[in-house]
Amino acid sequence: MRGALLIAKKEFLELSKDRKTLFFVFVLPFLLYPAIFGMVAKMGKRDADQNRNKASRVYLVDPSGALTGLLKADPKHFELMPRPEGDVKQAIRDQKLELAVEVAPDAAEALQKQQTFTITATQDESEHTSELALKRFREALRPQEKAWIQNRLQVLNASPQLAEPVKLEVKNAADTALEVGKAMGRMLPYLLMIMMYSGSMQHGIYTTAGEKERHTLLSLMATRLPRNQIILGKLLYIFSMGVIAALLNLLSMALSIPSIAGGSGSQGALGAVAAIANPVTLGLTFLIMVPLGLFFANFILLLGVQAKNTIEAGSAITPGIFLVIFLGVFTMMPGVEKMSFLSYVPVVNVCLALRKLFSQQSNWLEYWVAFAMTVGLAGLMTFISTRLLNREKALFNA
Amino acid sequence: MIRLDEVHKSFTVKDRKTRKPKRIDAVRGITLQVKPGEIYGLLGPNGAGKSTTLRMIASLMDPDAGRIEVCGLDTREKPEAVRACLGYLSTDMNVYGRFTPRELLRIFGEFQSVDPVVAERRGLHLLEKLDLADFADVKMEGFSSGQKQKVSIARALLHDPKVVIFDEPTTGLDVLTAKTVLDLLRIMRDEGRTVIVSTHVMPMVEEICDRVGIIFDGKLHGDAPPRDLLRSRNARSLDEVFFQLAAETEGGN
Ligand SMILES: Nc1ncnc2c1ncn2[C@@H]1O[C@H](COP(=O)(O)OP(=O)(O)OP(=O)(O)O)[C@@H](O)[C@H]1O
Ligand SMILES: [Mg+2]
Repeated sequence: MRGALLIAKKEFLELSKDRKTLFFVFVLPFLLYPAIFGMVAKMGKRDADQNRNKASRVYLVDPSGALTGLLKADPKHFELMPRPEGDVKQAIRDQKLELAVEVAPDAAEALQKQQTFTITATQDESEHTSELALKRFREALRPQEKAWIQNRLQVLNASPQLAEPVKLEVKNAADTALEVGKAMGRMLPYLLMIMMYSGSMQHGIYTTAGEKERHTLLSLMATRLPRNQIILGKLLYIFSMGVIAALLNLLSMALSIPSIAGGSGSQGALGAVAAIANPVTLGLTFLIMVPLGLFFANFILLLGVQAKNTIEAGSAITPGIFLVIFLGVFTMMPGVEKMSFLSYVPVVNVCLALRKLFSQQSNWLEYWVAFAMTVGLAGLMTFISTRLLNREKALFNA
Repeated sequence: MIRLDEVHKSFTVKDRKTRKPKRIDAVRGITLQVKPGEIYGLLGPNGAGKSTTLRMIASLMDPDAGRIEVCGLDTREKPEAVRACLGYLSTDMNVYGRFTPRELLRIFGEFQSVDPVVAERRGLHLLEKLDLADFADVKMEGFSSGQKQKVSIARALLHDPKVVIFDEPTTGLDVLTAKTVLDLLRIMRDEGRTVIVSTHVMPMVEEICDRVGIIFDGKLHGDAPPRDLLRSRNARSLDEVFFQLAAETEGGN
């Protein structure tokens, strides 16, 4: 093991001499996510603010004046506009208006006679602002309508409950922790996999095919270090870079969440995260990340060792990320957790185990099967990589 | 001590035109011995099989047939022990550009299980001898090919190997440095080490080698001290012997 540690140390020393790469690995994640999340939050907030604070422009035709007072009483939400030039629909499409409301001329009379009258609202369904205007109009109309109904019931001497036979109350069985946990359980394996794979990728290529290309591998192979130690050392390095990338990215994401949730609302969500992120769950997550990371590192190592140069290695290793994304999306889909044969498909079973871990329905057998299978597969690939490196073609057929 | 016994090595390459695999017999039954305190010079035209022979001695390649012993160990049975006792240098090796010579030597000292203090002292001593001490703490990225070669020489000799295998060590070096390398090899020999070098520089062979072997087409010719070789062939220089052998093997084939 000493040889492997020496090789890994050499790889890290080489990395430490490259300031730019260091920056991209260790500092960038902490700038990237706060920036992205902050920007998304800001844009979302600005859009919401703009629409919320702006009154909707409404062209109201109400000869009997049944609704004019209602809209005029709420200048924060409604700005009554004069009749637009030309077609009303066109004016809405051109966004000169958000909504046109036409109340039947006999409205006041109909109210008096306890009859129905018609309101025609014209909106542009494809415009968010127009939708909002209609929503506001509906909301303003609802209490008014209720008041009219209550009036009519009173005239009939009937109970106010006559028009409201049912009141539906909805309760949420999942607590916030479970909800957030499920969402995280679905997202986390996906994020972890992508981050680990992409974190390992470049370093894996650099230290395998890259060493061949730069003609340094031979000097390493001419030392007394056994080949399997050299392979193990490189594996250790590739694996560590993947884990480091995943942890740093996740940490930065977690730290950026408050900025997107925006102050007060985040307290609940954060509390929920804290509740599910208990030591056991986190420990088990980390534990099963190890074989998964080893699997990826071995996959990269295998392809890197057999490649003649970095472009060949890159072309073989980069498509792996699509595979990883596909796997991730697949395990995020609803229902897959019920397909029991998936527990025996390597890598997929790790994602499922993680997902279940976070939704508090973990199954120990499944967890350890996933663990053992992935470790076994990773070990097999390490063995093949060593054999590949032992072939003289790896050294002299570049 | 190096001992080769009827060593064979062939490669299969693909001929793009005929689309058929083509067998190249790079080494065809080479037998030779290099004793401690001896410098053996390996000569031969391009593609003769010199590098292949040296790689097999360094246990970086396995022979197809025959036996190779280095430091009394079979290269196929104990490759790691063999590598521990030899220092190997070839033209297709490069240095790690991100490191300085001092850093590189420290790392390789660790790989070769040399005590760090000893490695540092030996490394600096070698760099001084090769006139590179001023650059000991400069990143090697910008080094000239000769400067890189000097660092590689220091790297190969760092662990005080009993057997030294240098494949074209003076390639890319100026005459002054080339002479320094030759002096270094002589010192190695006088310290009782076993040295084998390949080269295209005939005067160097005449100057420092105790024995020479000339490889043509994977076969060894005239395994003798340079002076004996000249006398037996009635030649004035090794160049002349070389031309004679070239003519003979051409006729023989
Ligand atoms: N890895 C390899 N794959 C295929 N053929 C090879 C390989 N290594 C060497 N050869 C072939 O073996 C023969 C001997 O090559 P070698 O490198 O030993 O020659 P050399 O004597 O060192 O030549 P030079 O003076 O040009 O360095 C050549 O024909 C070469 O093409
Ligand atoms: Mg050669």
